[in-house]
Amino acid sequence: MATVLIVEDEQNQRLLYKEELKLEGYETVTAADGKEALEKVQEQLPDIIIMDINMPRMDGIETMGKILSKNRKIPIIINTAYSNYRSNFMSWAADAYVVKSSDLTELKNKIKELLAKVS
Amino acid sequence: MNNDPSTFNPKTTIDKLRNILTEYKGRPLDEDLSGMIENVCLGIKNDFTKGDDEIEGTLKNDELSEESKDILERRKRGRRKNDNIIYAIGVGLSLVDRDSKIIWANKIICDWMDFNDSPVGNYCHDFYHCVDVEGGICPYSELFKGEKGHIIEAWITGNSGKRMRIQHIATPIANENGNIESVLLVTIDVTDREKFVQRLLLLQQLGKVMQGTLHLDKLLHLILTCVTAGYAFGFNRAMLFLVNREQNALYGKLAVGPSSPEEASHIWQEMSKKYSSLKNILEELDYSHNIDTPLNTMLKLMVYPLTDRKEIVAACVEEKKTIIIRDADNDPRVTKEFKNILNANEFVCVPLMAKKEPKGVIVADNVFTKEPITDDLVNILTMFANQAASALENVETYKRLEDKMDQLTRTQQKLIRSEKLVSIGTMAAYVAHEIRNPLVTIGGFAKSLSRFKFEDSRIKTNIGIVVEEVKRLEKILNNFTDLGKSHIPEKSSVQICEIIESTCTLMENFFQEKRINLYKEFGPEIPRIMVDPVQIKQVFLNIIMNAIESMPNGGDITVKIRTVNEIIQIDIIDTGKGMSQDALQKIFYPFFTTKSKGTGVGLAVSLKIIEDNGGNIDVKSESGKGTAMTLSLPIN
Repeated sequence: MATVLIVEDEQNQRLLYKEELKLEGYETVTAADGKEALEKVQEQLPDIIIMDINMPRMDGIETMGKILSKNRKIPIIINTAYSNYRSNFMSWAADAYVVKSSDLTELKNKIKELLAKVS
Repeated sequence: MNNDPSTFNPKTTIDKLRNILTEYKGRPLDEDLSGMIENVCLGIKNDFTKGDDEIEGTLKNDELSEESKDILERRKRGRRKNDNIIYAIGVGLSLVDRDSKIIWANKIICDWMDFNDSPVGNYCHDFYHCVDVEGGICPYSELFKGEKGHIIEAWITGNSGKRMRIQHIATPIANENGNIESVLLVTIDVTDREKFVQRLLLLQQLGKVMQGTLHLDKLLHLILTCVTAGYAFGFNRAMLFLVNREQNALYGKLAVGPSSPEEASHIWQEMSKKYSSLKNILEELDYSHNIDTPLNTMLKLMVYPLTDRKEIVAACVEEKKTIIIRDADNDPRVTKEFKNILNANEFVCVPLMAKKEPKGVIVADNVFTKEPITDDLVNILTMFANQAASALENVETYKRLEDKMDQLTRTQQKLIRSEKLVSIGTMAAYVAHEIRNPLVTIGGFAKSLSRFKFEDSRIKTNIGIVVEEVKRLEKILNNFTDLGKSHIPEKSSVQICEIIESTCTLMENFFQEKRINLYKEFGPEIPRIMVDPVQIKQVFLNIIMNAIESMPNGGDITVKIRTVNEIIQIDIIDTGKGMSQDALQKIFYPFFTTKSKGTGVGLAVSLKIIEDNGGNIDVKSESGKGTAMTLSLPIN
């Protein structure tokens, strides 16, 4: 069973993602900011990461950079409320860019698609 | 003693007088000069009195002897000869006695004063119309106060109708005891000198007035009025052409002057009543006056390419030289067409030169009075033209400055609006983000709830409502974040008609549902242009959507596409509710809306997109009748 690391500073959203992804049959790990995410990546070695951008302590872009410098294999989906980070070239390093929506269908599809590519 | 009065030699005396007066012209009368005139006048006086004494002596005999008859006859002849000579020198002369009655006057002064009968026996003030004399000083009475040779000037109209400036000089004639017996009044025509002075004065005054005139029409009028003003240059008609460098042609701009001899005499009569001096003309110059004359209308239709050297006005500009035409009928420099339009045989073309650059041409003639155009006049006119040209240049510079200012103001306004848009956008993006996160959570959980089974069906319905409303909010947020985004158009070659077609196809269902008739009027050969097709389509969608929403009970939408002067113009006209003028002012402001469910972003974004693509949007609307949106996109 694939493990999804959810990096999201808003507690309720973390909870929503956790429940929804569990229902899809994934193991979930959560982190509230970039620093925590780096630790979780080391500890758990997730199969895929869902990364928010605007977070305290360390933002998603910086975190992604650090993760990629150690492990290029884990696919990362940027999940943000802003659509304009799409033009930030750092975000091009991510495997997918999904604008946050109450409808999680797009996000779920992307996870499935990327995991299928890796395996 | 010489009995023949003709050998008294009045000619020498008169020649002397003539020489003195010629020398005197324009110079102040000093002691020497008045003394000289006095001497000459004494000579004239002697001429007249001597002969008379002689005749009187002869007449003392009761019978008229043959000898005395002969003397009388010779005397008469001598008198006539005298009169002729005095007439020839062109000076008005009269003798006035101590009772201010005229003893004698020559023909010239009678002509000038418009006096047909002999003035002898009249009071001098009746003869000289002293009321018209400037300053009201009588040279005659001044003399008796001891003021010698006082000069006064006046404007008169002679019996030939010629308006002239005259000068009176009074010289006392004393008897042996030194008492003043009579006064000789010498009157000279100083019209030419006066005209010359007036012209110089005019140049100086005009220089000042013209340099301060920044309105082109006013300046042109001012220039031509001066060329035609009676006291200045006094041309019958004047026409002005201006160089248009872009078209490389000369355009007729303004003509001043009568179109017919009848009109001419009418205007000049008016003028002489109305204006007494140049200052008056300048002060009372009515710029709207005389614009609709046939001459002016005709002139405005005249255009000559500068390359066409056969046309005299074009040649005048290209050669930068004044051209005087004395005989247009037989002068190869004048084309038949130009001659026909002008209808004058003698005329002058003066280039308007500003810093060696020709700005235009003044053409002036004396078609009605046929007065010859003198070289002197042309020289002064050329000087005047240079001043006029530099004033014209001032106007041009000012106009350019004004245009630049306008442009700057427009750009500034545009900048302010787009800055407003960006700052609103930045704020909107921030708010959108802050709201979007909790919305995602609310909507997400509501959706996950809908998977559960509830006994009460209302729960499911209500959850459905939460989910739908969250979706709507999210959609609005998407619009908000659009405002802040920079729109860098990704331009490609686009056929606008095709974009409209595909937009309309997309909206076909709406049209049917809302019972809207769509009419399309596409002009022929609409060229392809470089714009961002996605953005333009979004604009069409926005505007057509607005049109549909303004017609809840159905109506017509007309889409017109045509090319107008290097611009593609797209009109989208509806028969909907329309807008008040107040609303019309604000529709492009972000967050302004007249719709109950609108966000007020659509048109603000649309305008920004069209401006980013180099175009503009114009709106006309009438409450209750409908709205017409006009989009213009440049072809290049």
